[in-house]
Amino acid sequence: MIYVNNLKKEFKKTIKEPGLKGSLKSFIKPKNEIITAVNDVSFHVPRGEVLGFIGPNGAGKSTVIKMLTGILTPTSGSCEINGKIPYKNRKSYVREIGVVFGQRTQLWWDLALRETYTVLKEIYEVDDKAFKERMAFLNEVLELEEFITSPVRTLSLGQRMRADIAASLLHSPKVLFLDEPTIGLDVVVKDNIRQAVKTINENEQTTVILTTHDLQDVENLCDRIVMIDKGSKIFDGNIAELKKKYGQSREMKFIPTDFEAAGKLDYKGEFKLTDDDIEIENDGHNVAVRFNSDKVSVEKILNYTLSHTHVKDINVSDADIEEIIKGIYRSEVKVDA
Amino acid sequence: MKIFKKLHRVFKLHRIFIKQDLKRLMEYKIDFATGAVGMLLAQGVNIVFLSIIFSQIPALDGWKYEEILFIYGFALLPKAIDHLFTDNLWAIAYFIIRKGDFDKYLTRPVSTLFAVTVEKFQVDAFGELFVGLLLFGISIPHISLNINPLNIFLFIIAMIFATLIYTGIKLITASIAFWIKRSGSITYMFYMVNEFSKYPTTIYNRVVGAIVTYIIPFAFTAFFPASYFIAGGNPWYNIGGTVVAGTVLMAVGILVWNKGVSAYESAGS
Repeated sequence: MIYVNNLKKEFKKTIKEPGLKGSLKSFIKPKNEIITAVNDVSFHVPRGEVLGFIGPNGAGKSTVIKMLTGILTPTSGSCEINGKIPYKNRKSYVREIGVVFGQRTQLWWDLALRETYTVLKEIYEVDDKAFKERMAFLNEVLELEEFITSPVRTLSLGQRMRADIAASLLHSPKVLFLDEPTIGLDVVVKDNIRQAVKTINENEQTTVILTTHDLQDVENLCDRIVMIDKGSKIFDGNIAELKKKYGQSREMKFIPTDFEAAGKLDYKGEFKLTDDDIEIENDGHNVAVRFNSDKVSVEKILNYTLSHTHVKDINVSDADIEEIIKGIYRSEVKVDA
Repeated sequence: MKIFKKLHRVFKLHRIFIKQDLKRLMEYKIDFATGAVGMLLAQGVNIVFLSIIFSQIPALDGWKYEEILFIYGFALLPKAIDHLFTDNLWAIAYFIIRKGDFDKYLTRPVSTLFAVTVEKFQVDAFGELFVGLLLFGISIPHISLNINPLNIFLFIIAMIFATLIYTGIKLITASIAFWIKRSGSITYMFYMVNEFSKYPTTIYNRVVGAIVTYIIPFAFTAFFPASYFIAGGNPWYNIGGTVVAGTVLMAVGILVWNKGVSAYESAGS
């Protein structure tokens, strides 16, 4: 379905020294530098999969999406989607895809929302009957009814995003690209959007590629994730694999009967651990101990705790995905690509 | 057959977009009303100004007053048609590329150039169109035009290709923005040369004359074709020149545009 091979994109950037003087200098004698935004990224997405594309700000996610949607031409490497090369067969290719950039809108700003759909209907040559059915369906999953007659400029961000997603789905695309579809939205709207994407993916076998910084999106929607950083791919697999690979950390939380005794617990000394492998947090209600389960087993930690103090309640949990990814972004976890 | 289907689609989309753009104008009523009054005022002042100038100049380099008016009116028509349909190219030159807003045109299954130009229907152009036709109305009864089917056909041809000269020049200079991000001043500089086209090219010195004839050939949007209809002459040069200039500029424009689209770098988001 989607094949991406050794995709690379370089930009030329003029280096400017600060101030007006610097600007003048670069105006007369510009100094250029080549920046590699995306370097040697390859992956494959089968039909019907929801792929989460994640990475810190500036990692190159949007640049990849822009190459896959035919907006940018790659410097080298190739991508092929539905048997088409986006930047070569652009017109016939974009008929089969839907694109939403959360930070921009493709709706006609000054007109009632409904007008955007009638214009897109003509651009994508959707016939009247299909259009009617499609609008009814999109209305149902994205709840457009209440604002479909309002001018786009008056829509709230949440309404606008739902409207933009509907616009991208009007022509029943085979592949849907969502670049930060939940950015800046409240939890209810986020949930609505996730449900809509899920419904479309399940009903129509639409392949979805989405970038996001909200890991709830990833956990609720994505069958698989590809993580990139500084333009290169650093992880490719599902969430369980990510947890297995990088999620050695566990968290034990307990409520001691005697905080003073709990404060005297010396995990670091007992198990000869460094600060990298253990972290203790005592807020006066709970004690949280996060530790690397490769270095010390859950059993040992539990035994030590229970034999030195009395507890009212205790539980041990997996590190959540957010912690793992935070670790990778901060490069605390060593990654081998 | 395929070409007819394609043309049919182009016209249909054009109609839909024009309708939407008129709705957009109605959305902001006060702005629209002010704009319309402003346009009438500007064109009115233009006419008054012209009549003042020409009341002082009974003839210019052998051209009599009404002939000058005819050339002036002739110059306004292709300018107006280009203005009406391709005004969004200015936005390309000034900000659409710089801000990365060109992205959306690339995700639509129509040609990018069409998607950009169809989006704006510049009603201001009706002012120029109106003045142009008015000047024709005033001048034609006083000059001896040889009106026959062939000349009417040549007139239509001249109008079409003169419009393409305008569009081509805007297209080439606006496309430069794909590389340098903002090329509005370049477009402006070249576009403003059209001011020379309103008067007989023969009144300028040789350098200016050569520039507007061969380099930025606005002389072929008005003076050369118009003088053929007034004074006769070689249609192969006067009208043919317009056809050649329009075709070449438009072809180069499309080529530069397409090159530019593949060099487009979007903007961070």
